[in-house]
Amino acid sequence: MSAKNLFLNSGFVRAPLQNGVGRYVCQLQRIVLKFCKSHGGSRGMRDFIEQDLVDFAKHHPGVVVYLKPRRHRSPVIVGEYLNGDRVWMNVHNKTHEEITKWIEVLRTQQGDIASVRLRKYQYTDHPSIQGPWTPFTFKDPELNTAELPSSKFGANNRLPMSATEQLRLMFEKQKISTKTEDLKIAE
Amino acid sequence: MVFLTIANLVRVRGPDEFWRKRRIFRLAAHYIGRRRNCYSIAVRNVHRALVYATKARKLKKQDMIDLWNTRITAACEQHNITQFSLKEGLDRANIMLDRKSLSDLACWEPRTFECLAAVAKEKLQLDGFVNYADKKLPTGTELNLRDVMLEHWLKEEKH
Amino acid sequence: MSAAKRVQQWATFARTWHIFDCKWQDPYESANIIKKYLMGQHKPIYHPLNDCGDVVVCINSREIALRGDEWRKRAYFHHTGYPGGASWTLAWELHNKDPTMIIKKAVYRAMKGNLQRRHTMQRLFIYHEENVPEDIMKNVSSQIRQSRLVPTRLDHIPEEEVKQYPKVMDYPKDYVLK
Repeated sequence: MSAKNLFLNSGFVRAPLQNGVGRYVCQLQRIVLKFCKSHGGSRGMRDFIEQDLVDFAKHHPGVVVYLKPRRHRSPVIVGEYLNGDRVWMNVHNKTHEEITKWIEVLRTQQGDIASVRLRKYQYTDHPSIQGPWTPFTFKDPELNTAELPSSKFGANNRLPMSATEQLRLMFEKQKISTKTEDLKIAE
Repeated sequence: MVFLTIANLVRVRGPDEFWRKRRIFRLAAHYIGRRRNCYSIAVRNVHRALVYATKARKLKKQDMIDLWNTRITAACEQHNITQFSLKEGLDRANIMLDRKSLSDLACWEPRTFECLAAVAKEKLQLDGFVNYADKKLPTGTELNLRDVMLEHWLKEEKH
Repeated sequence: MSAAKRVQQWATFARTWHIFDCKWQDPYESANIIKKYLMGQHKPIYHPLNDCGDVVVCINSREIALRGDEWRKRAYFHHTGYPGGASWTLAWELHNKDPTMIIKKAVYRAMKGNLQRRHTMQRLFIYHEENVPEDIMKNVSSQIRQSRLVPTRLDHIPEEEVKQYPKVMDYPKDYVLK
C-alpha cells in the first residue's frame, strides 16, 4: 500500500547470496512444533510427529526441530529463518497431509515471503545484452568533428523534393538521353 | 441497599477493542502528530489513505501506459518513424509485442528496437501504406535497411 | 554500485548540449521541438522524476518569423503586481526591447504548467545573434534540425552557378524590366 509503512514493507525478488545458482543452503534454521497430547485439534499434528518427523529430521540435518507438548493449547508451527524472520502458523484441525505440505512450504521458503509485497515479479543482474541505451547509441559520428552550428546538421532533411529540383532532374535526364542518341547516331 | 440497575447502565465496549484499534494504528505508524496516536483521528486518515490506494490502482496502470507511450515515441523518433506506423507495421508482420515489451527493448536493447522499426517500415512499404498523419519532422536518422538487415537487402539487390 | 555500472550510469544519463538555429523559423513550432529536448522526452529512458533533460542553446533569435499579421497583432500581457500595473505589449515592440523574449515565452507556454517548468527553463539559453560565449559553445555537441526550409538568397549564390543554372524561359533582349 504505502511505501513508507513500517509494517507493510516491499521488496524485490532476491535470493540470499544467489542461493541455488551454485550450492543450495536450506534457509530454515529451526522449526518448533507445539501441540496438545490429547485434544482433537492436534490430531493431524500428532500423526505427523509419529510418522514423518524422524524422517524429516534425518533428511534435513541443517534444520533444528523442537517439540513442545502443551496441554489445552492449539497446535502451532513456528519457523525461524537465517535472515531472522519468524513465521507463526496455526495448524488447528489440519489433517496430516496438509501439515506435511505446510512444513514443506516452510522448509523451502527463504524467510517470511507473505509479509513482503513484491515490487516486480522478475529480477536479473544482467538486464541488458546489447548494452543499455545511451545518447551516443544512434548519434551520427560526424557530429564529433563537425563545426556547429552547420547547415548540414541544422537543415530539414525530410522535406519532399521541390518543383525546381524536379525540373532540374528532368532536364539532366533529357541531356543524358540526347547524348546517348547522338552517340548512337555517330556510331 | 443493593443497586442493581446501575450495573445495567455501564456499557461494556468489548474485549476485542485493543486489537481492532491496533489494526488501524499499524497502518498509521508513519503519520505525524495525533494522527498516529489518537484512534478517532487516525481512523479517519487511515480510511482516506485506503480510499486513495483503491483509486490509485487504476491510475497506476494509466500512468504506466502513458510512460510506455512516451518512451516508445521517443525511440521511434530516433529512427524517423511514428509510433502509429510502428504499431501498424509490426501488427501486419504478425509481431505481437505490447507497449511494455517495446519500451523495455527500447531502453535495454536499442539495436533490437532499431531492427523492429526497420521491419515495420519495410512491411508498410511492401503493403503500400502511407501514414498521412506523419508530420515528417527531422528528428532522427533514416533507417538504412542495408545496415540493419544485410541478407534481406542483398536478396533484394539481386532481384 | 560497481565501477563498471557507475560508468554505464554516467553514459546513459549524460546531458547533451544541443544548438538550435532559430533563423526564419516559427517560434511556436520550434518551441514544441525544443521543449521535447528540454524535458528529455526525446530519450527512451524518459521519466518525469529522472532529471534527464538536455540543454538547448538557441541562436539567431532576432531572426524569428511569426506568421501572418502576428507581428502587428499578437500582444503579450504583463502585470507588475501593483494596482494599475497591467500592460499589453505588441510582438514587434517586445522584440525591439528584448529579441530573446518571444521564443522564451513560446517555450514556456509550450511546456506543461507544473512546478518543474521553471527549473527546466533554466536549461534553455537564448542568444539574439550568432555570438555565443565560448564556455557554452565548448559544451555544445549536437544540433537540432529546423522544421522550416531556409532558402538561400539569390545574391548569396556565386554568379557562375546562377548563369549555368538551366532556364525554362528567358526574357527577350529588348524587354525592359521595372
